[in-house]
Amino acid sequence: MASDTVSDPKNETTEINGVRIDDTFAEAFGMSAAGVIITADNAKWARQAAITMTGFGTSVIGCGAECGIDYEIAPKDTPDGRPGVRVLVFGFAPDSVTPQLKNRVGQCVLTSPGSACFNGLESDTKIKLSAGVRYFGDGWQTSKKIGNKRFWRVPVMDGEFVIEDEVGITTEGVGGGNLIIHGTDRVGLLEVTEAAVAAIGDMPDVITPFPGGIVRSGSKVGSKYKGVVASTNNAYCPTLRGTTETALDDTTVVVLEIVIDGLTSKAVADAMRAGLKAVTDQGAAKGVTRVSAGNYGGNLGQFHYHLKDLI
Amino acid sequence: MAELILRLKATPDQRLDLKSLTPSRLAGLTVPEIERLPIATTRTQVTVGDVFTVSGALGGGIRFDGGSDRFDFIGAELAGGTIHVDGDVGAYAGRRMLAGALSVSGNAGAHLASAMDGGVITIAGTAGDCLGAPRRGERFGMTGGTVAVQGSIGERTGDRMRRGTIITHETCGAFAASRMMGGTIWAVGGFGDYPGALMRRGTLIAPHVTKMLSTFNDCGVHDLVVLQLMEKHFKDTLGSLAPAPTSGPPKKLSGDTATVGKGELLLIS
Repeated sequence: MASDTVSDPKNETTEINGVRIDDTFAEAFGMSAAGVIITADNAKWARQAAITMTGFGTSVIGCGAECGIDYEIAPKDTPDGRPGVRVLVFGFAPDSVTPQLKNRVGQCVLTSPGSACFNGLESDTKIKLSAGVRYFGDGWQTSKKIGNKRFWRVPVMDGEFVIEDEVGITTEGVGGGNLIIHGTDRVGLLEVTEAAVAAIGDMPDVITPFPGGIVRSGSKVGSKYKGVVASTNNAYCPTLRGTTETALDDTTVVVLEIVIDGLTSKAVADAMRAGLKAVTDQGAAKGVTRVSAGNYGGNLGQFHYHLKDLI
Repeated sequence: MAELILRLKATPDQRLDLKSLTPSRLAGLTVPEIERLPIATTRTQVTVGDVFTVSGALGGGIRFDGGSDRFDFIGAELAGGTIHVDGDVGAYAGRRMLAGALSVSGNAGAHLASAMDGGVITIAGTAGDCLGAPRRGERFGMTGGTVAVQGSIGERTGDRMRRGTIITHETCGAFAASRMMGGTIWAVGGFGDYPGALMRRGTLIAPHVTKMLSTFNDCGVHDLVVLQLMEKHFKDTLGSLAPAPTSGPPKKLSGDTATVGKGELLLIS
């Protein structure tokens, strides 16, 4: 689609197809990330195991890890020649990813019919994938070294659960890339944001860990209540526009956010670019008015993604 | 890549210990220096130049132009690079090999890949007894690497084997995998008598066995992911030397129950 781009130096904004792009940036943080490939007898059950494993994995603060499906893998490209799904698990550090993998694989992949679980990230740094899970075999588990990789075979009721011994982990991951999309129509904005999530879904090495890739409850740091570390970002709540200091336009009735975690800073930037393009390609027709991004003033996160650089 | 070529001058009249002729041991030597290197023998002292015409340059690979069943210990302790032999090799080829590739266009003698730990050995012909086995007094036989033999292999293959893979596209002789502790032996043409005696762990794969130990138990027919993993790995790493894909779920027999019994024999179709 041909786009109509207009720059307004006075207001430091750019408009594309009727959608205003704020001159601001997303502020993101360094994270550790592991990749896992889950296979099964068919794509449906590989995906089912992956969906279950990545559940309750939206925010590292409350869930212990941020998890999502990166992409589906054709049988010819999986270790065992069956349909597969690549899952990414993000945490603050390798030490915090290890127990998340243990619990999520043990409860959600081991239990899923026909599943197997393999390393999904080549890296010089490895953490245990089979730790704990293989002991479910109660002494009947056996290992098999194939090439330079070790696999564990755990007897289960539908045959054997095969799991690779180690999984690669990177400390070059980035968490918290984001796009904040404003609009005047709740249904229309959701459709446009879904399209942006789909475009990001086509990009490798990134996940959008929130429900369907979309957040409707943007948060600010702290709260009036003691012990509450994050609370609703009142400046972005349309129903509080007349009550509190607001970051919204007068016509805005809905704001949705896409949060992006990636294995590299470039992957996050490319994903944000793809998401932004998907939004501006659709233009203002469905009530989208503006794209912004979340930051903390630039002092907390090591990675800054300026929207004007992604257009 | 440049190769150092060692052309055999005449059929050896005594056994030759060629363990010193590996890329890492010859690195930095000129052709005249290589020609002056002594070769351990059984009767008369000889040098490399007495046995071979040396030419080319060592670029990581050595090619023996002409082989003999008296070429012992060829590729022993090979730690990288390639060795190719146009012809046969004798005993203990690839002994304690660590990495790299050894390929032989002819037959290999006994104790091929003895206590091998890594790398890949391919034999276009047959291989003798005790492939991958330890020498007397050693605790383990093969502990890693892959050996692919186009022809048949002899008895006691994989004795005390702990890791690694042995593949034959024909038959594997009697008493294979005795005292095996791990690893995989795939006999495309089947095993001879009594494979897996006192086998603790590990995997044997074949379409049939001539005589089976009574201490292996029938576990039924199962679709095993690990077999698909192995098939894909062999296809990726061995190409045409990989066994043909199996056509259905294998029948699993576990044993040897005379010991811990965590080994398995997979009867494929």
